[in-house]
Amino acid sequence: MHTNSWLSVGPSLDECIKCNICTSYCPVAAVTDLFPGPKYAGPQAQRFRENGQPMSPDHSVDYCSGCRVCNEVCPSGVKIAELNARARAQIAKENGIPLRNKLLGRNELLGKMGGVAPGLANFGMQNSLSRFAAEKVFGIARGAKLPAWPKDGNFGKWFERSQAQRLKSEKKVVYYHGCGTMYYEPYIGQATVAVLEHNGFEVIVPPQNCCGLPLLSNGEFDEAAKYHQNNINKLSSYVQDGYQIVGTTPSCTLTLKEEAPELLDMHSKEAHDLKMAVWDIFEWIRELHAAGDLKTDFRRIEMVLPYHAPCQYRAHRIGKPSLDMMALIPGLDLRESHARCCGSAGTYGYKQEKHQIAMDVGADLFSFVKAQGPDVHMTACDTETCRWQIEVGTQMPSRHPIEIVAAAYGLYDLETRQLLIE
Amino acid sequence: MLDLLVIGAGLSGLMAAYTAAKSGLSVRVINKGLGSMHWSAATVDLLGYTYSNQKQSVKRPFTTITALRDSNPDHPYALLTEDGIRFALGEFVALTKEIGLPYGGSGSGDNLFLPSPAGAPRPTYLAPQAQLAGDLGRSEPMLIVGFKGMRDFFPHLIADNLIRLGYTARAAFLPLDLITARRDANTIHLAKELDDGARRVKLGKALKNFAQKGERIGLPAILGLNQHAQALVELNKLCEVPLFEIPTLPPSVPGVRLYTAVRNKLQQMNVRVEPAMEVIASSTVDGQVEWVESETSARPYRQRAQSYLLATGGILGSGFDSDHSGHIWETIFDLPITPPQDRSQWFHSSFFSSEGHPVFHGGVTVNRNFQPIDASGQVIYTNLWAAGNILAGSDPILERSLEGAAIVTGIAAGRSIVKGQ
Repeated sequence: MHTNSWLSVGPSLDECIKCNICTSYCPVAAVTDLFPGPKYAGPQAQRFRENGQPMSPDHSVDYCSGCRVCNEVCPSGVKIAELNARARAQIAKENGIPLRNKLLGRNELLGKMGGVAPGLANFGMQNSLSRFAAEKVFGIARGAKLPAWPKDGNFGKWFERSQAQRLKSEKKVVYYHGCGTMYYEPYIGQATVAVLEHNGFEVIVPPQNCCGLPLLSNGEFDEAAKYHQNNINKLSSYVQDGYQIVGTTPSCTLTLKEEAPELLDMHSKEAHDLKMAVWDIFEWIRELHAAGDLKTDFRRIEMVLPYHAPCQYRAHRIGKPSLDMMALIPGLDLRESHARCCGSAGTYGYKQEKHQIAMDVGADLFSFVKAQGPDVHMTACDTETCRWQIEVGTQMPSRHPIEIVAAAYGLYDLETRQLLIE
Repeated sequence: MLDLLVIGAGLSGLMAAYTAAKSGLSVRVINKGLGSMHWSAATVDLLGYTYSNQKQSVKRPFTTITALRDSNPDHPYALLTEDGIRFALGEFVALTKEIGLPYGGSGSGDNLFLPSPAGAPRPTYLAPQAQLAGDLGRSEPMLIVGFKGMRDFFPHLIADNLIRLGYTARAAFLPLDLITARRDANTIHLAKELDDGARRVKLGKALKNFAQKGERIGLPAILGLNQHAQALVELNKLCEVPLFEIPTLPPSVPGVRLYTAVRNKLQQMNVRVEPAMEVIASSTVDGQVEWVESETSARPYRQRAQSYLLATGGILGSGFDSDHSGHIWETIFDLPITPPQDRSQWFHSSFFSSEGHPVFHGGVTVNRNFQPIDASGQVIYTNLWAAGNILAGSDPILERSLEGAAIVTGIAAGRSIVKGQ
């Protein structure tokens, strides 16, 4: 039997019983007075935003990082994070959007621009003078780690270049790489392709766009809707042909599945079909394993590995499939973090006025890693902005679980981040 | 495949998971959101009142439970022997010791009476160490200390009510900025502030100046979150008189401490507690549960196990749902339940009726193995068990038996599941 539990954003407000569990678990309210907590900014303030109230009553909602821990712990199913996201969009409409937030919302554009001349772009973005200037002029925190553009081209170029070596198979799967993998971390995509091909799948990489999440986070809903519609247009034919779409960045896949349709009220059949075709890579691998179709010829990896399931991953409500699958690797001593958030929350930690909050939020996670002992020299986490934040906070490299699995298959070097095949 | 999937992460679900994992079963706990324990004072209320006598609280719970077997044979306690109940409580006490959050009782088998945040005596059987010095059976006068500006904790109200009942008490305020620089903080945030040793020293010194010799000090339950045990030792030493915590309105720090410590223990035993997994569908075939599905961001997630434990809570939890007509159903398996299906029958005409309200009294009927049964007494699904507040036969809020029933039925169900595998 089915119970009627899929509450839509607005009406879910009435389910709030004011129990304060969300405020108790909110990682931002725990470290600053600037955000009073999800209950106040969300269900409570929402009463004053509805029914044609002209102005948003509570601008502190700008300090909500959108991590969705409140949704995770709510016993009543209130969609607090979505209430807050909509409130931020309303404020953006009322007050306009600062240039800095417009820049941070457009990582696809930035990725493309920097990739034209990566050496120059890296020098321009990474030196301390320009970071100082970027903080003073735009308010982009100089302490937050910016990714570098790869010198030998982006993921798409590699995929094209290596077509001759790519596996052709009856079994096919579509890969949604997202902007991080496309423009900054092509090795995540290479590891993914290697793991999928090792299991006999031909990987299809269709043209695609940014999922729109950075725009949603910064309140540019109209722009985000264009991105989502573009993705629907570009991916629908694959969905109609019955392909499944896997992604390696949990925040992107969450946006395609749920955030974009829900926040933007995009409920067309195509949007729904896309939602139902998108999988997190390990959610998909877990199904493969359950069906007995995952190769488990893993080599031993003798390593203590602290693993943090990012907020946006937990927000999928699929459990921790990356942890389940990494647990199949012999020798790997996995340590599961219960820290609520790394702090970065996508673009949040890049904002100068919020950077210290982001670091304070991350402190629990950083000390968890430290507490795992001196043998630890690497961490694992599914989302790129979280990994970059964890690297700053722990001073050690962080890897995507798909890199760990690729290494366990003997296909990938964890230190150099290079494929061992080809 | 998992040996056991526990649905619900309240006290009964966690204790069942602990019991099964201790016997070597592979277990996972899934839950919709966090709940009951975050609202609970974290005391173990075994039996505080009876239906027949709401004016007089229960002094000797085990004597009353024995009588209850005859007067209310459907009561969850009546499904167990006295030894079974004592065993389960012993298991719980041993666990709390192991996880660094030791519980104690009166020592005599009688109920303890602890001051509530309104200054009323609250009957309970076991309490965390931090609350034990608040026992109203002790003779030391009480100094109730609050923090001026802290929400929902009023020491003068507590002391006045205690005095009215014949106890010796007085009240005092400390400034809130003694323990926090924040303008706005709830109990969890304040408890976290007292994880910091320097703040504890400041508080301890201030308390020492306040207390008179021979007194004991009652404070809101915010004495540390992750460093609670150490905070208690240090503060007791600094102020030189016994200290005790008085539970606050939610969020309840003692409840969060217990939840976190038990969850961490389960994690060490390879039991994962997965929040935000609401079960929305189930399939049964040939008298067995085949799978359950939980809601996700897209497609439902199908989960299978040898055995399933339903620990989803009562009508105040997620175990039941209802519609406007008064129809009530069990949310996952649509098991037969006892509450009245007519809205006009839900409540007694008198709000404070000693009989309680019928809607809170009902639930799922189980046999002595804690397996749900139908009206003819037949087990409904051979691999399904139930425990905690979802069970029929008692009104745990009226009886003050919520945690006691959760622990003993959770452990009993866990043992029955182990025996069945």
